[in-house]
Amino acid sequence: MIERPHLVALPGYADHPRPDVQFCGHCGRPPLETDIPPVSRVCTRCGLGLLVSAPPDGAPTPDDPFLLVDGQLSICGVSRLAEELLMTKETEVVNAHIGDLLVPADIEISGPESLVNLIVHAARGGGETRHVVLRPAKEFGIRFWARIAPCGPPRAALIVLADGRA
Amino acid sequence: MDDGVRTLKTSEAASVLNVSPNTLRAWERRFGYPKPQRTAGKHRLYTHGEVAALRDALQEGLSISSAISRARESLSSDTSTLVGALQAFELDRADAAMEAALALRSVERSVQEVLLPSIHEIGERHGFDSAPWAFAARWATDWLQRAQRMAPPPMRPTAILVGDATRDDLDPDALALKALQLFAVRSGARVLVLPITGVAGLTEVLGAFAPQVVVISGAHASDDDVARWAYRVRSASGALPMALYRRGGRADAARTTARNLPDNAGEAHRIVLEILDGRPRGVAAPADDHVIDQPANRRQVRAS
Repeated sequence: MIERPHLVALPGYADHPRPDVQFCGHCGRPPLETDIPPVSRVCTRCGLGLLVSAPPDGAPTPDDPFLLVDGQLSICGVSRLAEELLMTKETEVVNAHIGDLLVPADIEISGPESLVNLIVHAARGGGETRHVVLRPAKEFGIRFWARIAPCGPPRAALIVLADGRA
Repeated sequence: MDDGVRTLKTSEAASVLNVSPNTLRAWERRFGYPKPQRTAGKHRLYTHGEVAALRDALQEGLSISSAISRARESLSSDTSTLVGALQAFELDRADAAMEAALALRSVERSVQEVLLPSIHEIGERHGFDSAPWAFAARWATDWLQRAQRMAPPPMRPTAILVGDATRDDLDPDALALKALQLFAVRSGARVLVLPITGVAGLTEVLGAFAPQVVVISGAHASDDDVARWAYRVRSASGALPMALYRRGGRADAARTTARNLPDNAGEAHRIVLEILDGRPRGVAAPADDHVIDQPANRRQVRAS
């Protein structure tokens, strides 16, 4: 047995045994089965979002509000339900810093578990889906249970919001 | 400097983007992009450059919004180039920046989206009384005049009289007026710009020109001068529809029924055309139809 420290292979984004799930970045619904590739990335159901892929355990259902954030922490997409939940419009917050919209509910958390690190890790293609508690940037007393997962293309972090009852 | 911009019909633009025409129209409503021009028959005409920029951005985007933001950024690089050229006092490079803008846009949109914002930015940076502003404004005036000389001859049976109430060519409103004038000329109208301060011989000029709408532009001239000039125009040409452009929030519109035009030259031009189209040629407008004929103005004229 080797006593010294050694590297261990961990599961990564590319190692997912199940294929990624495709969904629309606006309505959250999967592409139509009649959409035979190669087709446009534009969702043929709503026409207002691009098709994005994510691991099955991270991908949203059509009832989940979610955001797409890139590795620079800029908001790249806000789903229709997230627009309603956060009372904002995608066109107004796109390219804004995620911190303008959502912040960690527990500001004491730092290190690898901090929101920034989780987003950056996911946007780099980090495989695991992580769970955090967030709140709107300018409101107290509201909490969202959120899961953060990699998505793409291009590589980004997917933040799916939930009310914690599920 | 001709209008050789490649344009696409809705179906063609939709095909380039691999979406349906309905989706394209939905994007226009939600995102304001791509922003089509309209043909005389009100059909949409998309600029190929805008559509191509969006097609490229969609391939690398996460959402339509972010792709549109990226496409807009790539188009706005013309503004940065023009500002850079003018700040370096390089006229050839400034001309080249406008040529590049024209490759992607119509003359009207190049002026509105590249030329005017660039000149304004230079004014904001250096001051509207600075030498760099004067340099840039003179170049822009020259460019707009060149563009006007290359416009087709008047085709619409319409004549627009503009009362120039700006200070001089370096007045920031003067450039907007020149842009409005260019747009009107390019739409086939005859345009006559006269200084608001010159009333001598106005009757003879208007008798020959026969304007159908009057636009008073600029905030430099006093209300008294404007009222005096408007009175002379009315005496010579009868009651004409009147519009105010960039009067700097003066109270003219409150005292008259003259229509206030938006600051955007393209929007202002559209409304002037609406005013023209809304009134059959040769028929006098009703007294309450954007006409300067208020007691306050008449009193001022008499007093003078």
